[in-house]
Amino acid sequence: MAIGEPIVRVEDERFLRGEGRFIADYALPRMVEAHILRSPYAHATIRSIGLDQALALPGVHAVLTCDDLPEGLPPIHCRIPTHGDLSPYLQYPLALGKVRYVGEPVAVIVADTRAIAEDAAELVELDFDPLPAVTDPAAALAADAEQVHEAGNLAGRWGFDLGDVSGALEAATFMVSDRFSIQRHTAMPMETRGLLAYYDVGRGLLDIYGPTKVVHTNRNLLATMLRMGEAEIRMIEPDVGGSFGARGEFYPEDFLIPFAAIKLRRPVRWIEDRVEHFAAINHSRDCVFDVTVAADADGIITAFDVKLVTDMGGYIRTHGDVVPSHAGASFPGPYRVRNYRLDAMTVMTNKTPTGTYRAPGMFEANFARERAIDRLAQKMGMERAELRRKNLILPEQMPWHVGTESVKRPTIFDSGNFPLIFDRATDAFGWSLPYQREVDGWKRGRGMCALVEPSGLGPFEGVRIEVDQHGRVQIFSGSSNQGQGHETVLAQIASEVLTVPMEKVRVRHGDTGIITFGGGTYASRTAIIGGNAVYSASISVRTKALDAASRRFGIPVEELDLREGAIWHGLNNEPVAKIGDIARMLMPGNQEILQTPSAGNIPDNDGLVVTSYVRAVSAGAAVFAVHLADVLVDPATGETRVERYMVACDVGRQINPMIVEGQIVGGVAQGLGGTFLEELTYNEEGQLTTGTFTDYLMPNIYDMPPVTSLVFEESPATTNALGVKGVGEVGPSGVAAAVGNAIADALGTSVGLNTLPLTPQRVIEAIGFEVGA
Amino acid sequence: MNKRRVDLTVNNRAVSMMVEPRLSLADALRGELGLTGTHLGCEHGVCGACTIIVDSDPVRGCLMLAVQAEGAEIVTIEGATPVVGLSEIQAALREFHGLQCGFCTPGMVMVLHHLFSNNPVPSDSEIREALSGQLCRCTGYQGIVNAAKAVAARHMHQNVQPRETSQDHRE
Ligand code: FES
Ligand code: FES
Repeated sequence: MAIGEPIVRVEDERFLRGEGRFIADYALPRMVEAHILRSPYAHATIRSIGLDQALALPGVHAVLTCDDLPEGLPPIHCRIPTHGDLSPYLQYPLALGKVRYVGEPVAVIVADTRAIAEDAAELVELDFDPLPAVTDPAAALAADAEQVHEAGNLAGRWGFDLGDVSGALEAATFMVSDRFSIQRHTAMPMETRGLLAYYDVGRGLLDIYGPTKVVHTNRNLLATMLRMGEAEIRMIEPDVGGSFGARGEFYPEDFLIPFAAIKLRRPVRWIEDRVEHFAAINHSRDCVFDVTVAADADGIITAFDVKLVTDMGGYIRTHGDVVPSHAGASFPGPYRVRNYRLDAMTVMTNKTPTGTYRAPGMFEANFARERAIDRLAQKMGMERAELRRKNLILPEQMPWHVGTESVKRPTIFDSGNFPLIFDRATDAFGWSLPYQREVDGWKRGRGMCALVEPSGLGPFEGVRIEVDQHGRVQIFSGSSNQGQGHETVLAQIASEVLTVPMEKVRVRHGDTGIITFGGGTYASRTAIIGGNAVYSASISVRTKALDAASRRFGIPVEELDLREGAIWHGLNNEPVAKIGDIARMLMPGNQEILQTPSAGNIPDNDGLVVTSYVRAVSAGAAVFAVHLADVLVDPATGETRVERYMVACDVGRQINPMIVEGQIVGGVAQGLGGTFLEELTYNEEGQLTTGTFTDYLMPNIYDMPPVTSLVFEESPATTNALGVKGVGEVGPSGVAAAVGNAIADALGTSVGLNTLPLTPQRVIEAIGFEVGA
Repeated sequence: MNKRRVDLTVNNRAVSMMVEPRLSLADALRGELGLTGTHLGCEHGVCGACTIIVDSDPVRGCLMLAVQAEGAEIVTIEGATPVVGLSEIQAALREFHGLQCGFCTPGMVMVLHHLFSNNPVPSDSEIREALSGQLCRCTGYQGIVNAAKAVAARHMHQNVQPRETSQDHRE
């Protein structure tokens, strides 16, 4: 039994030995290196870019500017359906006429080494006319605001109006209204991005190492931009040091580096440095919610009325407006609230463009909703867990249609017993046990967040499984891997169905050269959709092997069985054949089964090989989770210490419990970073003021409390054969909410703690307000 | 730019390289010697991914110039790894899921390697202190700490003594 076992990961040995192959470890003969020259201004008109001195530097091969771009080059396409037409806001690989954020690519310098290319960058003369920078959505929407794009600073406005919100607000016994801000921060994987492009001029083939996440989508996008055949481009994922949503989208460099390689007819490598990463990678979060929540006298929540303003930055990128879209679609969370109104605005500013970061929109929405619910409980004088418990969607109401949609898919929770998991979570944490409210002058508080995390989105996933004559199994997956452990998880599924040991199963992924179609990795989808593709293909391999054995040995297929990697007949002591023997018999040209492949066609003798594409059910699989935290707060300094943290969730079915726990704990760490530390701040000129690891702090070992994960397999997903639900985003999703509520509880305040990150300053500001004041 | 010659010992082997004075030691190890197990996560001395051992101390390879390593004795992840399989520390990191993407991992292994060679049974707080300069974005550190604690507990049980820190052979 491989599924459900906490098997150590097959990918670990190479990383531990220092034998991982990350993009900066790749090199090719005749390779040259690129540096991207980026705008030093947040907003400016480009007058001229002087290249003479840079080109004269020994070792420099080329400096490409927007004048070198192919005629009619389209902007970088948005790969996701959006609310309204966002095409006027798309980004070109190099700035055309105007720059709109600090860090926008302006030129590509190619030289013998990265150091020479950087030296040359100093010699490029930028003649820019600075314009006023728009750094705040509120200012961007003012009547006399500087326009970031001709189409206007308000990129989109949409919403929902479900049920009768106005009526519910009028009839409400209790009501709370408040504003919640989630700061700009982002994924910040430990490895920066990089690409190595090689163009085989004679054959017209382009190989690109370094892409990840959605390699097939990116390959097709690049083919359109370069006017090449899709199969003439091969994107190959190396080992990747984390993505968390941000890395692996199609960025300007994903066009520029292959383009430079074609132009120079030499392999070109670009390795991003960290400071560059800060300005160039998608930022995320950065939104403000105005929330009104209403309840009747019995504590039934009757309405959510929400305004959401999201700062999109200087351009719309490949993710479009998916982040506010998810936030809006899932705002009501695990509660059976039918009156829901959303008014969402997406606003352009002169800041780095935005995209997804782990639990996109959900970290944000959960913070706003769950803080508001704690306020409501305070106001009503109702215990906070009791208020939530009362309003949870009931098992008999599954599948629950929220009534909203995001990226053209309805928001549906497929299954779950929310009250059961909620009770187990609060019991395990000891929620209702009394706790000492003061410890050495520090105040203790307790907080929670209940949430539903949608998972397993995206249209399909594909896999090809090949069994060779030695009984070794190769899985060619259309998904990709940035550290989650997919090589192990997918192997476990095949190992289970094909009854071969893990050591005989290899998983390859993230390579457009190994499988025709692929979905990629995002939205906690690989275990679900990629996993079910492996499951379905493995079952087909088993069927094919049993059929072949039946024909070869003349035994009815019902009497045959696949065990221990071999075909067995009844209770015989010896297997009929090993799975590798069957693979050999099925090789084209082998005549052991089909005597005469007449007419040139070999319908069945095409190897023990199966390709399977599995369609995803559009609603995905809903994970219910409860986050619980105890914190200590020093009222003198505003310092906060999270004492203990628990995430309880129902994942339907676990493939590898060790990896599930790792995803949760690591996710909580990122959530704590977003709650306390991480912030991308800009000054009035639109300069990023937290652009290094000394200003942008991420959790280190001292910032981590003990984290417990309590994982249930109570309600298998009804939308996939394995019954699994995605666990990648449950970890960060509820952290700011649970911790914010715990700090408010410690301080006994009903004001403040609405703005992330919860710095000591903000904690101090929240002191001194009485409950109910 | 003028290159300078540097002679040093890397993973018990005498090597010499010709480098530009501005080249960092980490870049030299990676680029000149092909020791790509040393990773660069920030190139400004914060993340610890580039940690190597220089003359018995953990050092950030991105903050030291290659020319400063003249005469130095250096151990990289490649030198801290057995010919086949995993060291005790490495195996524990695998067992306790102390890595996900694996990018920070060589740096983690190096600081733990250094810690355990000097102090086979470190306390929990010594373990945390040793790891406090290393950033990991994936794991939340819990698996890493658990791995180190397990190694310490095993050492305690086996009564392991600190390694002799003789440096005579460098003369
Ligand atoms: S790369 Fe040296 S500390 Fe980050
Ligand atoms: S395992 Fe990815 S950064 Fe540590």
